[in-house]
Amino acid sequence: MNNTEIKKTPLYGEHAKMGAKIVEFAGFYMPLYYKSIIEEHLNVRKNSGIFDISHMGEITIKGKDASSFVDYVFTADVSKIGRGEIVYSLSLNEKGGIIDDVTVFKFSDEEYMAVVNAANTQKDFAWIHHVQNDFQKKGKDVAAQNISDETGLLSVQGPKSRDLIYSLISDAVKTGKCGLFDFKFQPKNIKDLKHFEFGCAMFKDINVEAMISRSGYTGEFGFEIFVPADKTIVLWNYLLQNSNLSNLQPIGLGARDTLRFEAALPLYGHELDETINPYDAGLEKYLSQTKDFIGKDALKNIKNKEKRLIFFKLSGKQIPRHSQRILDENLKPIGCIASGTYSPSNKFPIGSAYISDAGVNLSYLKNFFIDIRGNFEKAEVVSPPFHKNLKTGSN
Amino acid sequence: MIKSGSFYFSKSHEWLSKDSNNKYRIGISDFAQSELGDVVYISLPETGKTYKKDAKIGEIESVKSVSEIYAPVDLKILSVNSKLNDTPELINQDPKGAGFIAEAEISNDSDVEGLMDENKYKAFAESSHHE
Repeated sequence: MNNTEIKKTPLYGEHAKMGAKIVEFAGFYMPLYYKSIIEEHLNVRKNSGIFDISHMGEITIKGKDASSFVDYVFTADVSKIGRGEIVYSLSLNEKGGIIDDVTVFKFSDEEYMAVVNAANTQKDFAWIHHVQNDFQKKGKDVAAQNISDETGLLSVQGPKSRDLIYSLISDAVKTGKCGLFDFKFQPKNIKDLKHFEFGCAMFKDINVEAMISRSGYTGEFGFEIFVPADKTIVLWNYLLQNSNLSNLQPIGLGARDTLRFEAALPLYGHELDETINPYDAGLEKYLSQTKDFIGKDALKNIKNKEKRLIFFKLSGKQIPRHSQRILDENLKPIGCIASGTYSPSNKFPIGSAYISDAGVNLSYLKNFFIDIRGNFEKAEVVSPPFHKNLKTGSN
Repeated sequence: MIKSGSFYFSKSHEWLSKDSNNKYRIGISDFAQSELGDVVYISLPETGKTYKKDAKIGEIESVKSVSEIYAPVDLKILSVNSKLNDTPELINQDPKGAGFIAEAEISNDSDVEGLMDENKYKAFAESSHHE
């Protein structure tokens, strides 16, 4: 990070007031947990939880050539989605390494927004800005803007989250200006949104306009809510004041990580980084077959997978941690842990790892071990997600 | 004077409490458990083994982190709280009671006198909170 000063989201004071354990994450002071990671995790699976994810980055891309720009910078077929839709994508460097994984929101052929990982906001914006300058030199009309500091972002997740959100928003469909955004199309009613669609709504009583998407990072039904930074506190407190509607609890980053990992959603810096390509990570379905994008040429030269991402559970109780070694049955090192944690839903430790020798037959991995500080803990390959009907063996 | 039932704390957040004669209980402080968060695994010390002051006697693992448990003074482990194998969360629920780690023999009460009493430890923990 260029800027060594640790930032705070608009909700820092609220977290501190609630007695959250605060840690530094991605250059921000963030709540790790309010009371208990396990309790918070289970409440999201059963009821609902609210997360402050205002640390995440938002980058808008506007201009007559915005569509060709997002199609070039991102790997997925971004411009093909409809207005009010969202697509998951990667951005790659010229060697095919993963710069970041992002969600891209489409407002029109001339206006998009990418939501990026907090730890990567500066890097992503510098990269996008660099490509934007190349476009502009060629006479193209595109301008990227980092609106992360002006944007507050809350996530409400869990099977009961709809009971909270549907009751607190006004029924009228908002068009035109929506907080930080301008809807030049008629979005769907929030209650009609499908996964990876967004709209605009007014929260009753507090009169706060928000862009609301049906999205999240937990494997549960949920919403992400974008508001101007100065409205974040009032919205956070309003939702928590109505917590009885969905047994809502504030959730820290600890449970955000265990929830995303049980759902086998990748985390940049763990499953993804610039030394990993989309094939290694098993994300080739997010590569467009029909258009050119940065990194595509380099990927053509990758004949064999160099690494393979596997998921496993442990029979012991010790928790595998990032970068610990994976050993085969002869105790030969074959890879490293990407993510490791305790699964609150299963009550046992789980993890993911990159193993080398891509051609390895996973049945050969029947017996393998994790080197946890010198203890060789037995592990077993499983097919995620971990939180529903976990199957052993690989798919 | 070491009083039975009083708690004495180390800088690495373990406590000792005298039962009778040379018999003490050892555990980790309420502050330590709250910093760790949900405890999911503990590696207990070895019964019958003698540990020197500051030697590692075990490990506590929470969802997010792992930390080592040290002998606050020279001691010999008499028995361990084996309930922690199946219910490590006792450390969060009752760190100074049902969540104790082991019983130990300490030959010199004077070793324990070098530790912090409740008041000193409270001030110490509060200051380390802001590090």
